[in-house]
Amino acid sequence: MTTAFWIITIVTLLGALLAVTLRNLVHCVLSLILFFLGIAGHYFLLRADFFGTVQILIYIGAVAVLILFAIMLTRNVTGEEGPREILGMKWWSGAVIAALVAGVLLHAVRRDATAAVASSAPKPLSVADLGRALVGDWVVPFEGMAVLLTAALIGAVVIALEEVQRRR
Amino acid sequence: MNELLIHLLKIAGVIGVMLGIVAYTVLAERWVCAWMQDRIGPNRVGPFGILQPLADGLKFIFKEDVLPRHVRHKFYFTVAPMITMVPALITVAVVPWGSYLPVLGHNIKGVIADLDVGILFIFAIASLGVYGIVLAGWSSNSKYPFLGGIRSSAQMISYEVCLGLSVVPVFMQAGTLNLWNVVLYQAEHTWLVWCQPLSFVIFMVSAFAETNRTPFDLPEAEQELVGGYHTEYSSMKFAMFFLGEYANMFVASALMATLFFGGWSLPVAPLNAPATTLAVGLAHVGVFLAKTLFFLFVFIWVRWTLPRFRYDQLMTLGWKVFVPLTIVNILVSSVVLAVMENG
Repeated sequence: MTTAFWIITIVTLLGALLAVTLRNLVHCVLSLILFFLGIAGHYFLLRADFFGTVQILIYIGAVAVLILFAIMLTRNVTGEEGPREILGMKWWSGAVIAALVAGVLLHAVRRDATAAVASSAPKPLSVADLGRALVGDWVVPFEGMAVLLTAALIGAVVIALEEVQRRR
Repeated sequence: MNELLIHLLKIAGVIGVMLGIVAYTVLAERWVCAWMQDRIGPNRVGPFGILQPLADGLKFIFKEDVLPRHVRHKFYFTVAPMITMVPALITVAVVPWGSYLPVLGHNIKGVIADLDVGILFIFAIASLGVYGIVLAGWSSNSKYPFLGGIRSSAQMISYEVCLGLSVVPVFMQAGTLNLWNVVLYQAEHTWLVWCQPLSFVIFMVSAFAETNRTPFDLPEAEQELVGGYHTEYSSMKFAMFFLGEYANMFVASALMATLFFGGWSLPVAPLNAPATTLAVGLAHVGVFLAKTLFFLFVFIWVRWTLPRFRYDQLMTLGWKVFVPLTIVNILVSSVVLAVMENG
């Protein structure tokens, strides 16, 4: 179990590191996929089969394909040159956001009592339990996510519409 | 030890039978198309041409493997055909081929991996197949494969949504994501196609789009894109794309049979319950294969009957017709199921 954990962790970190350092954008996305696979591996290791498969389905099967699709449509994809500098002009804003997210996550993990006692192998979570939890205890965050996604969708439509109007 | 041996035998059997069927589907495709166009079809190699797949295979192996000079990323160029082939071989592991096979005191379950998240696993792994096409289009570094790759990624993402949403009512009714249990539910009650006909139609059309078959074969439309994403491929690499398409068709057919047409079960006496004798167990496998072969025939039949969609028609059908329909279907099904449970 621990050997598997370390192998998956190394692969995950390697994928994450390559995704932000490689020059060619398509290679970056492929490294990002490696990272997503590593996260899915961690879920499987924790016996959360559902999360593992959903991670592959959503992130690798849809999100990464969309990113690849966008890159292919917008950039000179066959060229080798990507952005020259790894640290862009606004690197500090990225750093602040990363620190904030890490802080919130750390706080949440520390506060969660179940994380401390899970020394034995956790029992596999059934899909029915998950569904009940989503529309029961966690219904407010769940609906909040829905609102957030709808807002993102409307934002995308607004941006697309502006572009159409400019072309006319 | 015995467990391991049983698993290895199951895997060998399933992969062997599947690849055999895949090879002969190519021949069947040529026969059916010849028959529909009033031609004779392949009849030279062996009696009635039944050795044609062997000859084709040998031909592919002995052909020169051309690597065009403009290919910059040779690694991705080589890996791409494998990525299209492998998901089909993995996903077939969770498809139930039979109920039980009672052999020598072992009661062998007719599925390689009895996963509780069965159908999600299939969607997850099958969604990786698009990378083969996208990477092939990108690494070929020439325009027609590139256009094919772009078309393919847009098409597959759109129809994955329909595919995923269309089967939700099936699992709400069966109450499980495990495919073996879905078949058991159908054996005990009734085939789900009678309860969820709309789901079935949308699932079938989306499966056609996901496998890049006519009327949705835009990524490789010969008249517009030469060969689409596999224009620059030759020899066994091309053969892998070819086999990948047929292997994906096999999995799609097997899923249609499993989800909507009762999988290994038939609504007659010994065949409508899990097998207790070897004969019934084998009959179940036969029933499953017969249903799958029928849907493979439907794939071929449609290909030589319908013309290709235009790109905007494809997108309109997916996003403006199927997605709303599936959502309404889920809503109606959940209300009906809730009323039946409580009322």
